[in-house]
Amino acid sequence: MAEARLAARGLVREYAPGTGVSGIDLEVGAGEIHALVGLNGAGKTTLMRLLLGMLRPSSGVATIDGHDVVTAPAVVWAGVGHLVDHPLAYSELTTRANVAVAARLQGLPRRQVDAAVDRVMAELDLGRYADGRAGTLSQGNRQRIGLAAALVHDPCAIVLDEPTNGLDPAGVILLRELLLRRGAAGAGILVSSHHLDEVARVADRITVVNRGRLVGELDPAGVDIERAFFALVHAAEERRTP
Amino acid sequence: MSGTNAAIAVEIVKTTASGVVRSATIFLVAGIVALAGSLTWAAERGNEQVLAQLGGLANAEGWDRFLGVAAQVTAAGGVLGFGVVLSWMVGREFADGTVAGLFALPVSRSAVALAKLASYALWAVAVAAILVVLLAIGGVVLGLGRVDAEALDGLGRQLTLMVLSAGLAVPAAWAATLGRGLLPGIATTIGIIVVAQVLVIAGTGAWFPLAAPALWALEPDEVSSGQLALSTLVPLVVGWATLVAWRRLQLD
Repeated sequence: MAEARLAARGLVREYAPGTGVSGIDLEVGAGEIHALVGLNGAGKTTLMRLLLGMLRPSSGVATIDGHDVVTAPAVVWAGVGHLVDHPLAYSELTTRANVAVAARLQGLPRRQVDAAVDRVMAELDLGRYADGRAGTLSQGNRQRIGLAAALVHDPCAIVLDEPTNGLDPAGVILLRELLLRRGAAGAGILVSSHHLDEVARVADRITVVNRGRLVGELDPAGVDIERAFFALVHAAEERRTP
Repeated sequence: MSGTNAAIAVEIVKTTASGVVRSATIFLVAGIVALAGSLTWAAERGNEQVLAQLGGLANAEGWDRFLGVAAQVTAAGGVLGFGVVLSWMVGREFADGTVAGLFALPVSRSAVALAKLASYALWAVAVAAILVVLLAIGGVVLGLGRVDAEALDGLGRQLTLMVLSAGLAVPAAWAATLGRGLLPGIATTIGIIVVAQVLVIAGTGAWFPLAAPALWALEPDEVSSGQLALSTLVPLVVGWATLVAWRRLQLD
């Protein structure tokens, strides 16, 4: 059986009871778009940080292509793209320079940087802002820079936390198409969102997170996904109260 | 450390595009030349208030006085300027939230930290070189005579003082990392300046690494090479601590 692109096994990292991640098992296979949904503070971002080595777990293991993220070598990280928290967009640099800087940090050889930057900027329709400094752009366009920075090297494991933040409807569609293309090309994609309708359009699986635990899955083709989401969260809360 | 070359290339791009670094360069170079030049000009004309402020340098003449004043200004202003820039280079990643993008890369975080220190060092050496050239031109314009061997010695000491001052500001990088922002780095820089001044007044003198470079620039014969070498331990030890702090960093 093929190794999962991203996997969490018994991951725990708690801040206070009910916050953080309290024991999560999760897999994202090659070619799969896996969405995490949950209320604010449910633990989605903490889980993503653990999968990316931004936090060390109290117990459990996070892996990328079978490698423990705590000890993963550079070649494994070269296949990872992510946007968690703020976009990697330096205000003093132009859009193009920001994406080029990200390409170098992602391990692309210098001679391949220009072509990769052109390609991803076209995908995200950033061409008209190429020479504008990031500090002068709107939040949505800075988010597009962050997405371009995360994807410029065609990663095979992608982690995006609320990637539609600040995007206009055109940007949301561009992102949707971009994720579907990368998923079809074999990338394993983990994405979190509050927009249930949007994740239903792209995700192969939708997992609900509540108080640091996975509490169920939603059917992306379901008719009333919002009602199903709240039913799962409500049931999880009911189980917590004696 | 993996990806150090790429990290250095990236940090150089960020440094050269930075308005903060440009402003600090002007502050350091123009500020020191203007202060040293105007104080020397006033002293040459017998301004008693300025002569009183210059202390021992009031009795010096020509290039000695000019470069002595430049060294005095550099001792405090240089460390402040260097510390502010280094605090920004490191602390801005936390303040702007870009630090998250420096995780999960083939470039290790300690390589990113090393690249920041390397880029900072290159900039500091460039600033020191520009300052020395402008001081030489300034001295000639002030009518101190041609740049003779003695003046060249003084300019060499000024160059060394600038580079050593940049090294003394390296704890700002460590503080900005541990404190996750610009202000801890800037506060540490101010602390370094204040402690150095107080200990010099208290008489610990050149054995205190933070004070040795300035004392040496003013009174080369009063500071041994061993005492001066101690001051180079500050960037080496604290620089290493900064790399370790970046390697262990978590976004908690």
